[in-house]
Amino acid sequence: MQNHIKTYGILFISASLFFTACKKDYGNLNNATIEDLSKNASKSDLNNLVSGTESGTRNSLNFYLDDVGVIGREIYRFSGSEPRYVLDLLGANSSTLSGNNFYITTPWAAKYRVVKNCNILIQSANNSSLITADEKKAYTGFAKTIEAYQLLLNLNLTYQNGIRVDVANPEQLGPLLNYTESLAAIASLLDEGKTDLTGSTVSFSLAGFPGLSDAAGLIQFNRALAARVNVYQKNWQGALSNLSASFFGLDRNLNLGAYHVFGTGSGDQLNSVFIPQNQNGEQRVAHPSFATDIEAGDDRLSKATLRTTPASLSGLSSDRDVWVYTSSTAPVGIIRNEELILIYAEANIQQGNLTEGLKAINKIRTSHGLGVYSGALTQADLITEMLKQRRYSLFAEGHRWVDLRRYNLLNTLPIDRTGDDVWVQFPLPVTEQ
Amino acid sequence: MRNKLLFKIGWLVLTLIPAILFAQNRTLTGTVTTGKDIPVPGATVLVKNGSQAAATDGNGAFTINVPSNAVLTISAIGYKTQTIDVGSQTSLNVNLAGDVSRLDEVVVTGLSTSVKRQNLANAVAVIGPNQLSGTAPAQTFDAALEGKIPGAYINANSGAPGGGISVKLRGVTSVYGNTQPLYVVDGVFVDNTATSGGLNAVTSAGTSGATSNQDNPSGRIADLRIEDINDIEILKGASAAAIYGSKAAGGVIIITTKRGKQGKTAVTLSQDLGFLRPIKLLGVRQFTAETAATLPGDPATLTKMFNDANAKGEIYDYEKEIYDNTPFTSNTVLSVNGANEKTGFYFSVGHKDEDGLVDRTGYNNTNVRLNVDHKISDHIKLGVSTNYIHSSSDRGIFGNDNAGVTTGIALSSTPGFAQLHPDANGNYPANPFAASNPLQTIALMENNEDVNRLITGANLEVSLQKSAHSLTRFIGRGGFDFYNLETKLLFPSVLQFEAINKGASAQGFTKNMSTNFILSLVNTYTPTANLSLNTSAGITQETGDYNNLLNVATQIISGQSNIDQAGSINATQLRTKYLNSGIFVQEEATIANALTLTGGLRFDRSSNNGNTAKYYVYPKGAVSLNLTSLGLIKEGFFENVKLRTAYGEANNTPAYGSKFTSLGVSNISGFPGLLVNTDAGQPDIKPERQKEFETGIDFSLLKGRLGFELTYYNKNISDFLLLTTPPASTGFARHWVNAGDLRNHGVELGLNARPVEARNVTWNSSVNFWLNRSKVTKLTVQPVQLGSTGGVLLGTYQIEQGKSATQIVGLNGQGVGILGDAEPTFQMSTYNEVTFFKNLSLRFLIHWKKGGQNVNVTSLQNVFGGTSADYDEKTPSGMPKGVTQLMQIGTNAQQTVETSTYLRFREIGLYYSFTKLPVSFVKSISLGASLNNYFTITKYKSYDPEVSNFGTGFSSGVDIDPYPSSKRAAFHLMFNF
Repeated sequence: MQNHIKTYGILFISASLFFTACKKDYGNLNNATIEDLSKNASKSDLNNLVSGTESGTRNSLNFYLDDVGVIGREIYRFSGSEPRYVLDLLGANSSTLSGNNFYITTPWAAKYRVVKNCNILIQSANNSSLITADEKKAYTGFAKTIEAYQLLLNLNLTYQNGIRVDVANPEQLGPLLNYTESLAAIASLLDEGKTDLTGSTVSFSLAGFPGLSDAAGLIQFNRALAARVNVYQKNWQGALSNLSASFFGLDRNLNLGAYHVFGTGSGDQLNSVFIPQNQNGEQRVAHPSFATDIEAGDDRLSKATLRTTPASLSGLSSDRDVWVYTSSTAPVGIIRNEELILIYAEANIQQGNLTEGLKAINKIRTSHGLGVYSGALTQADLITEMLKQRRYSLFAEGHRWVDLRRYNLLNTLPIDRTGDDVWVQFPLPVTEQ
Repeated sequence: MRNKLLFKIGWLVLTLIPAILFAQNRTLTGTVTTGKDIPVPGATVLVKNGSQAAATDGNGAFTINVPSNAVLTISAIGYKTQTIDVGSQTSLNVNLAGDVSRLDEVVVTGLSTSVKRQNLANAVAVIGPNQLSGTAPAQTFDAALEGKIPGAYINANSGAPGGGISVKLRGVTSVYGNTQPLYVVDGVFVDNTATSGGLNAVTSAGTSGATSNQDNPSGRIADLRIEDINDIEILKGASAAAIYGSKAAGGVIIITTKRGKQGKTAVTLSQDLGFLRPIKLLGVRQFTAETAATLPGDPATLTKMFNDANAKGEIYDYEKEIYDNTPFTSNTVLSVNGANEKTGFYFSVGHKDEDGLVDRTGYNNTNVRLNVDHKISDHIKLGVSTNYIHSSSDRGIFGNDNAGVTTGIALSSTPGFAQLHPDANGNYPANPFAASNPLQTIALMENNEDVNRLITGANLEVSLQKSAHSLTRFIGRGGFDFYNLETKLLFPSVLQFEAINKGASAQGFTKNMSTNFILSLVNTYTPTANLSLNTSAGITQETGDYNNLLNVATQIISGQSNIDQAGSINATQLRTKYLNSGIFVQEEATIANALTLTGGLRFDRSSNNGNTAKYYVYPKGAVSLNLTSLGLIKEGFFENVKLRTAYGEANNTPAYGSKFTSLGVSNISGFPGLLVNTDAGQPDIKPERQKEFETGIDFSLLKGRLGFELTYYNKNISDFLLLTTPPASTGFARHWVNAGDLRNHGVELGLNARPVEARNVTWNSSVNFWLNRSKVTKLTVQPVQLGSTGGVLLGTYQIEQGKSATQIVGLNGQGVGILGDAEPTFQMSTYNEVTFFKNLSLRFLIHWKKGGQNVNVTSLQNVFGGTSADYDEKTPSGMPKGVTQLMQIGTNAQQTVETSTYLRFREIGLYYSFTKLPVSFVKSISLGASLNNYFTITKYKSYDPEVSNFGTGFSSGVDIDPYPSSKRAAFHLMFNF
């Protein structure tokens, strides 16, 4: 027995020596981690976070646009493999919207992922000793502006169900705010962003902000978003004053603005809302009313081109493809001058400045091959006209459902099949309830 | 080309092996019989402490050269081993007693120790070569396990060539951790990773990214060759496998390959030829002009399409056209084995070539193995096993899909009057009913996995000290498993669904290196004949280094597949690396050959744990008491009555990277970006811990002709790892946590019998019955749904406190309720071998899985596409069945949660051996015919009740348009030289 004890003793001593030498932690071999960045990020780290944020705003964009487009009866989304676009979203039979399903969970999560990235950017910029105070302000100003934009899109989906605004600490999330509170929080986040951007030095590059990527341009972008929030809040005066600080201009190019851009480079994304014309299986087609309601001569009819054979599914049918995004790298607007002109029209009409409002409406009409407005010059008629112009100018860009809801006109949307419903809002994703 | 070359090398090695000379003393002849002079063929006759050996022929006769005063050990599977002092006899007749319980079988109980089954405290299943490859061989190693392991739930993922099977031993042991057992081949821990080739980039089955768990790759364990395997031992849980520590939570499957056998060098050449047939087809809807008009689309156009096709007789059954084929299979194996006193070897080379049911799919595997054992001196023994494998599988495009491109999904909405066939120039028309033309996709796409793999292990045994009562040995065992896997996906730009991407090509390059070693000291101390102490202690280490590079190119230049011949390319890389190290001690005491006590401890740490420095301790202990040997029960009606109890703990290390919250890389117009990943890490993540208790009673009756094995086990898994779904507003979709506790308990009943033993007929039979129940006993987070494609709309797994871990919940008309459970009510299998007139042998394996539900989306998909065979069947309400099924979507998911009971004749084989041959250099020729999975009795409505869209993880049984399963028939011809 003595021998054995000795042998085991030796074995154990050598084993413990061997193992002390062998303790290993390989770290993360695949990615940077939050812990790495929040310590003392370099300018290049922060620039990567900016680009990641801009890139991330494109994720799951198609789900948002399909949600708003389908419920707003702008488009049909036909898919051989996904029935819920024509069942749940249109309220077929007794189907309802569920907080469990992709149409709310996916876009909601994609937006909050960008919000998280913005928060990491803010935290990393604040903890960095490698940048100047002016540079820091540019990073935080940009982050707050994008964060506000992402929150606004989610609020558009859940409306009175609200959103969470304070989400910086995942362990302790802030409360769900109601619609009014949420809008106010978004507006003040935009104001904070504007304050930060003022006097800042932008040392990062952006892809989809032609002419708007310096501090002055980002402030204009920030104010354009603030004007959109103002009309949602019915703060008409605020909208007008924010428009004047934005890139708005009645005589400027309608397409001036900020965009989600796409590319074929490694890791870049293709436009997820693009489907070629005359496709089968996966289809994004215009609601038939788009073509039937349009005025003769309106060049915006080209946004829905005729198909060689009509597309149908589940008792729905359309002979026009959505043709707003005409290639896999076509950009998708974030906010552009055409919307700002219509916001200008809306705020003026609402404030009783009918002439100024009409001027903006006629600007839009004449830009699209139509004659000047010839209807009655009452506030109500002009609002109807303004909504119509918004419908055609911003077709498939995610507005009509929100606009009709603002004016309590969802009941004017066409019901295509008996028993279909027009939903007012999405339920919160189950994980938030 | 490569395969032919391998064959040539094989032959060369064969001819170069020098004839092995045997020491000759004197010749002893004899016969081995049982009962009333019934011969025992295939019994092994060994000279104790010597090197000579022989095997009995069909008449039970043997001839062996023995030294003077030799002691012979005579053993045969299913009989008690006998030891005989030969003395000066020149002929010997040995009568063996029956032992269907295989009490003499030696079973592995430690990393370097083993014990006779007679004293074993656990129910350890053993699969022998006849059961594994000698009945109706399966295509791949993993499929060959089906129905053969009591206590296991084994389920094929799909019928795609090249394997892919989930093995769960004694219930689900983990939710997000590894649920699969550890495979050990000759001491080498073999990797079983399933690497996706990037199919998700085309199918969008998962939400984003190039890969998802719905890509149905094969697990790498499929590469092994069943013909090379001597036996497989299955340690089903921690009570048996605790000494394997952090890798043992899913159980351990110990594979021992064939080694050189003493005696005349044996050469075997075998050739199998066979074919496959689909197990089942679902049928298609027969349209009329009226029903055609109700399909999606313009009614007038549809009516015209139908009438045109009908007039020209161009209405097709595309399901039949694509799946109803009879592909050819071939398998050739050459093996040589021999040994002398010092050196033994086993060499084999094999080539398998099988086409799949679907055109341009299939599997081939070429395999070379050389096992060499050598005694360097009386004290030092060295064994080396090497195995080179090349396997290639073309798996087609199947399964879930959100782009309308997989074969099944495309077929589901394509009526028979659609015109999909190519014109004279080979141009395929676009399918107006789906995003893809499946005939075109099959003809032009590629989805290949190609593996080159080398598994090498070594085993060194040194006697350090030897005395009358004590023997101390050093045992070192280890090896490496290295493979290169190339995955290749090609979707040319002419494909209908490649209109946007203009073609996609994905090439993946994976390099994996796993190593492991065990260094141990083993002491056997036998102070008296009635006491034996077996002490072992040692250190272990396992490493893994996996590197996967995946390039997905789109905008492909026509006719090109290289990823640089493209307008756009996305590259991703995934690396994982770990180092686990352990220390173990184990003590086994056998008292009076009746009471066996085992105790062991293992200390483990892993680089994957939150705390990499911390050692986790895993104890094990076992008692077995043989009442008969002890004399408490007299040998009589009951024989070998044994009570046994075992307890052990094991763990499951967290997945690599689960402690980090990382940022993914993105690109926008050339600006590189960092975007936070949706999985939040847990810096202080702990391993899951499993505590298993097992107890049982074994006994035999009727002079060893009937053996019973009854086992109950209870397995508690604490701190099980869960990817929970935090509120999405955190920015994260999933968060790693140690979320709660899980329990599995169940029973396993085994019966081994030899119902008939006569001169001309012997029938050996085994029957197994097993069942398992699970329960989530604690959950610290909200219930988590996983493994679904449609959530409660179609049925989904839900981890919920107080409920079965594998419950399936879904809409039930009133809300959300439990609709089923993947856990079978019970399973039963029976393996039988009947030998007539010594040379004719019938073997069959029947497997019955009773109960358990699948989520069958396949059938509903056909209804949704308007093509289900019974769509127009009138229901009592007067509405067509298809319409009533559609109306349930959104309120009731009961139609998709379907019971998947089946009774399956897994294997049937009939073999005849010719032993009296006109030429002397051929010892025997054996001829056989076999059927694999040929008959299935089930009410399940989709292709196969065995299915898993989500691969081998937790949530098997989700059925979404898989590659249809096939049944196999084969003819076998084997020459023994």
